[in-house]
Amino acid sequence: MKKIALLLIVLSYMSACVKDDIVDDRVDPVLRITNPIDSLTVDSNFQLKALYLDEVGSEQSVALNWETSNSNVLTIDNSGLVTGVQKGNAMAIVRYVSEGIDVADTNFVQVDSTIVVQTAPAEKNGTVQTTSSYPLSGSYSLKEVSGGLELSLGSDYTADNSLPGLYIYLSNNNTTTQFAMEIGPVTVFTGAHTYFIPGAGINDYTYILYYCKPFNVKVGDGLIN
Amino acid sequence: MKKIIIVTLLTAFPLLMSAGGPWVQKKGKSYFKLSEWAVVFDQHFTSSGLLDPNVTTGVFNTFLYGEYGVTDQYTILLNSAVFSRTYVNNLVSGTTGNIIAPGGALNYFGDTDIGIKRSIGKSNRYPLAATVVLGLPTGKSSGGVGGNLQTGDGEFNQLVQLDVGHGFQSFGKNSSYYAAYLGFNHRTKGFSEEIRYGLEGGIAFFDSKTWLIARIAGVESLKNGLTAEDSMSTSIFANNTEFTSFSLELNQYLTQKIGISLGFAGAFRGEIIAAAPSYSFGVFLDLTK
Repeated sequence: MKKIALLLIVLSYMSACVKDDIVDDRVDPVLRITNPIDSLTVDSNFQLKALYLDEVGSEQSVALNWETSNSNVLTIDNSGLVTGVQKGNAMAIVRYVSEGIDVADTNFVQVDSTIVVQTAPAEKNGTVQTTSSYPLSGSYSLKEVSGGLELSLGSDYTADNSLPGLYIYLSNNNTTTQFAMEIGPVTVFTGAHTYFIPGAGINDYTYILYYCKPFNVKVGDGLIN
Repeated sequence: MKKIIIVTLLTAFPLLMSAGGPWVQKKGKSYFKLSEWAVVFDQHFTSSGLLDPNVTTGVFNTFLYGEYGVTDQYTILLNSAVFSRTYVNNLVSGTTGNIIAPGGALNYFGDTDIGIKRSIGKSNRYPLAATVVLGLPTGKSSGGVGGNLQTGDGEFNQLVQLDVGHGFQSFGKNSSYYAAYLGFNHRTKGFSEEIRYGLEGGIAFFDSKTWLIARIAGVESLKNGLTAEDSMSTSIFANNTEFTSFSLELNQYLTQKIGISLGFAGAFRGEIIAAAPSYSFGVFLDLTK
């Protein structure tokens, strides 16, 4: 009898091995100009920057092709440095082509004799909502401030306080926190509050994510657009 | 029983600590059981009672259970997870094959319950007993890379319980019984207090060599403990656990004193608890005859 009991216990624990759970984390590759401009004066220039995110939302350093739609108005070199040539409108285009991938982004630029460089509006608004059965909802605004971003959740925000280790992230993939920027633990579960995110740009991320970090359970997200 | 409620986010549906009912052992009589309990789950009941997925997690406990009649009135109880293994799978990218979040395992003692049951009724027909159980935090409440692996809740709790039951003959010489209990579990370290209740019935066959026992058990949290607003501890995740479960257990005597036991449990409903059936098997030594 003892042998049978021991055998059963051993067999039980043998089945208790760490295996793999597969998560479908594929997203469409994205190429994004992160510091677009509205306008440029003749004979001045501006360094455009672009971000390529692969099929899991991970930033990759790749060789980009920069083009202009009208070289009489706007020129652009291989690094993304644009120069105003004469008054008019033109498009700065960045493209990345690789095996099975063809992605591009554009920046419409007005070139004029008097207008100085103006950056695009540096504030985005939206809502966060639950993607689970844990309550989460509320409005947010994300804006550029000195040294980074400020994420403000509105007075209508509410989140479930039964989860330990609820964290908030910025990410380019809403299925995983693998390449996300961790903002920090959630300590406010109702009402308005603010996070400061040093070093981040307004166009760097696509999603706000809420995850139960210790147990890797997604709670909700919000699209940044 | 406690370890079932604690073990991680986890937990499943209890096999009762006591063999069930208000019956105490005669002086010097005893009953022991060595059993294996397991649950593997990839979804859980959330705080709203609905089901959400989670990384596959397993909990395997080896329990040593014992009852001993100190007198005809008092029986001491022990239920100890002498070994506990909990594990969580790796989370792997389906696109790249890379590990997104590494899994892990924790092997340790589980928690231990010790208790004493006293017969307090004078009715032989409907005996009544009171039980006090102390839940000792002999397990580990935080382990693994993310601190999300637990073999215990890390808190000391005290359960007071009343049992009532009725035994009778059925199918000729075979015994049968039904019983009910109601308990209050005071928990420490910010865990909410609980009301525990249960009903069970057992019926014997083949000259009482085979027992089939059905149970319904429940835990209702008073939800008066800490929340994530107050604590970032991962073990607090097992706080405010609620469930109503059913279980079946088959006990088969192989000799006059030795037998085997097979069990199954699942839940009708739950909150903050694993949503998967649990299984058990064990060997018992019945020295009550």
